[in-house]
Parts: sequence; C-alpha cells; structure tokens
Amino acid sequence: MDLKETPQGFLIYVTMAAFLATAILLKTRWKELGRGFWFAGFVAALVSLVYRGIHTEHPPMQNLFEFFLCMAVALWPLSRLSRYQTGADTDFQDAVLGLIILFPAGFVFSEELRRLPPALQSPLFIPHVGSYVAAYIILARSAFMALPLFKAVGPLLPGDPRYGELFRADAVSRQTAAMGFVLMTVGLFLGSLWGKICWGHYWQWDPKEMWSLATWFMYGAYFHCRLKFGLRSPLLLAVLLWIGFLFVILTLTWINVSRLFSGMHTYA
Amino acid sequence: MGSMKAFFNSILNVSVAAWLCVCMSVGSVVLAFLGATRAGEWMARTPNLVAVGLLTLGLGISGLRAISRKRYDSSLFHVGCALIMAGWLVGQVAIRTENRDHPVNGMMAMIDGDRSDQLFKGPRLDTFVGRVPFTVALEKFTVERYPPRQADEEGAVKEYRSRVTITEPGKAPRSEDIRVNHPAYVKGFHIYQMSWGSSYDALGRPVQYTVLQFIRDPGLPVVYTGFAVLFAGILWFASRFFSLKKGGA
Repeated sequence: MDLKETPQGFLIYVTMAAFLATAILLKTRWKELGRGFWFAGFVAALVSLVYRGIHTEHPPMQNLFEFFLCMAVALWPLSRLSRYQTGADTDFQDAVLGLIILFPAGFVFSEELRRLPPALQSPLFIPHVGSYVAAYIILARSAFMALPLFKAVGPLLPGDPRYGELFRADAVSRQTAAMGFVLMTVGLFLGSLWGKICWGHYWQWDPKEMWSLATWFMYGAYFHCRLKFGLRSPLLLAVLLWIGFLFVILTLTWINVSRLFSGMHTYA
Repeated sequence: MGSMKAFFNSILNVSVAAWLCVCMSVGSVVLAFLGATRAGEWMARTPNLVAVGLLTLGLGISGLRAISRKRYDSSLFHVGCALIMAGWLVGQVAIRTENRDHPVNGMMAMIDGDRSDQLFKGPRLDTFVGRVPFTVALEKFTVERYPPRQADEEGAVKEYRSRVTITEPGKAPRSEDIRVNHPAYVKGFHIYQMSWGSSYDALGRPVQYTVLQFIRDPGLPVVYTGFAVLFAGILWFASRFFSLKKGGA
C-alpha cells in the first residue's frame, strides 16, 4: 500500500472520488447528480489513461497497472450500452466495480515506466489486450447482474412472486455474459495468432493461457447449462457465472503475480 | 441408421457438453499448475492424442448436426474448434515422424557472414536435428536500442534484426529481415528471431551472434481454417445477441 504522489496518482484518486460520489449519491434522492459524477468519473479515467499513454510513449496496455486503468475507462460506456440494449440500470454496481478496480491501480501496482519490448511491438497488441480488458469487465458485470438468482431455490415458475425480477436478472446476465464470451473468444483467437507470429506456436500450454482457457470453458459450461435447463435451475447458472468471474479475478491477480505461474506472459 | 442416431444423441448432447466443459476447465487449471513444459509433454502422450481425436470427432459431428437444427453459429463454432484440434493433431503427428530430412523444430546460431542449412537443439545448441531444404546466410545482425531515460543507463532494446539471404535450390537468392513479430516463411518453415548473445570468434575478437528458430507445422493451414470458421461463428453469435429486442434476451 502506498500513495502515488504524482500527476498520474492524482488523476486516479480524482476518478475514484468521482466513482465513490456516484455510488453514494445514487442511493440518495440526488440521483441525477450521481449520474453527473458517474460521467465525470469516466472523463477523469479517460484523462488518466491518455496521460499514461503519452507519458509512457506506447499504448498503455503493457502491465497490470495499465490494464486496470483501461478497465476503469471501459465501465461507463459499457454501462450505457447495456442500458441501451436491455434497459438495465447498472450505474451503482458499475461505480462500485470501478472503485474496486482502481484500488490496486491507485495503491498497489507500481507506475514505473517501461519501454515496449520487441515482443509487444505488434498490430495485434491492442486488439488482443483490448478484447480481454473489455471481456473481463463485461464478465464481472454479468456476475453482479446474476446476484438475484442466488435467491432462487428450485426451478423458477411463472407463479413465483419474484418471477419478474429473477427472469430479468437471468436475461440481462446472460446477454452480458454472451458479450463477454464473444470478446474472450476474440482475445483468445488473436492471442493464438499472435503467439504463432511472435513465439512460433499458436498454443504454448503457458499457465496464463491455461487459466484463460479454463475461464473460457467455464463460460462454455454456463451456456450449455442455460441451453439445457433454462430457468429450471437459476441457482446453477448464478454459481457458474460466479465461478467464471472467480477465474477472471484469479487470472488478473494471483496468476499474474505468482511465480508459480511464470511463463511467456510474464510482462506484468 | 435410427439406432446410430440414437447412439450419437445419447453421447453427444447438451448435458454431456456441459460436463465436458467443466472437466476441461478443471483440467486446464491442473495443467496450469504443471507449467508449460510439463503440460505440453503430458498432452503429447498417446492416450491424450487419442482423447483429443475423439473430442475432435464429437465436436465435428455436433457441429454438423447443428446445421440441421438451423443453429448456424453453433455449427461454425463447434466445427471451428474441431478443425483447430485436428490441425494440432496433424502437427503432433509431424513431430512424431520427424527425421533429419524433415525436421520440425530446430535452431541456427550464426555470426555475420555465416551460411548454413543445419538445425540444432539443446541448451548449448549442439544436438544435430536435421537439414532444411534451403540455405540461410546471415548478412548482418543488429540490435537497436531506445534512447535511455536516464543518462547513466543503457537504453532498453527496441529491435533485434537479422538480415539474411535465403537461397532455395533453383531460385535466385533473396534477402529478408527477420525480426521479433516478423518471421520469414520459406518452404514450409517459419524462421523466427529467437535469441542473441555475445561471444568471441575464432581469432578471439568479440562478436554478437543471433539465434534463429525454424519451425515447420503441416497442421497450420488446418488450424488457421479452424480460426476462420470459429471467428465467423463468434461473429454470428454476437450479431444474434446484439440484434435482440430491448428488454428481452
């Protein structure tokens, strides 16, 4: 834990303050003000990311610090997109998620500048990392959207008093998970292609590759279960979405940091 | 015919697929703990190749069956995965049938002016692997650095570049720059800028050497076809979800 006494740190803390204000105000009667802070937080996150990019002289996607800054920027647009698509209001949940994401960027990860090594100089760098940034954020949001499904015991039937709420939770979490799954597949596919061009093999059995594949399979299991059981077992769907999300968290934290899993992907 | 259909339906259904996904997810985590080298070696063992072959078959059949159900995205998706795994199996067969006239993976360590068609492996690159059907001559190896951020340090490496002349029998020699992320492709071999170092030549003068890696994978076209099919499937799937009406899913 240490405070970043730099312009970069200042920008991150401003973003966090805006996200915190959003989360608090959305639970009071000043909701419109909360939405104002939500947009302001996005602008601050964007400024923070652009500043980083200019400062480090390459696309800011090289290490975990930069990856987390990217994720914070993605939140507000994704929030708007899912409201447009499904009508779901996820501003509060996304602002809290933003706070959680920026915490390690603001207080844990080092902001040391590093030059882009030859291996990362590729047109596939931004699409590969970018699709994973978006995928992980979207899958996290999907897990939060599925939270009401944990309340369900047994099959969900139209006569149930909570039918409307749970039906909706299933619909939005599934649509969001589908979007995340698409981006995760694109990231995996681009990574594979890049691996062939850069390292000589499209699949190296590298620990991070294996964890990403494990995550992918877990969401594969979710979609097959959703297809098979539908709303007959909402609890199972919620559990699978949360296991998938747990894998995402592990991939972003433990797998990146632990020496146990060091391999080709050790850039962070 | 009917009984065969019933048989396929009993082993290739959504429940089995869900279970397989969970099992492979857990399996992937286990392999992550083994580390890349041991995981790769374990997967290359015969029983696992057979298992991957069966899975490929199952995915392929499921994918083709999905066409009759008009689930085209699902079809492309499963067939794409099957093709990628089939391509991987072709690569594994090539590794097993490798010989000195048909190597699949080896390296050349060279200093400026060297010419060779021989591949080596091992930590000291002293185990002969075989010959490639062309010769490679290193014209010049260069290392380019970023300007240092502090005056007292050496800048980080920006680029490794091996300028080579490739001579295929019966063809005019051609020059190519091999860099990280820019391999050359000659007669089925991708040539990669793999490594480099400092050493001394026969007269004791300091020289920089480059290590080029040569990889041949006859399964690659199948894998790339699988990538294309999978990508088409995922776009189809995405468009289906994006075109959903507001408020419904």
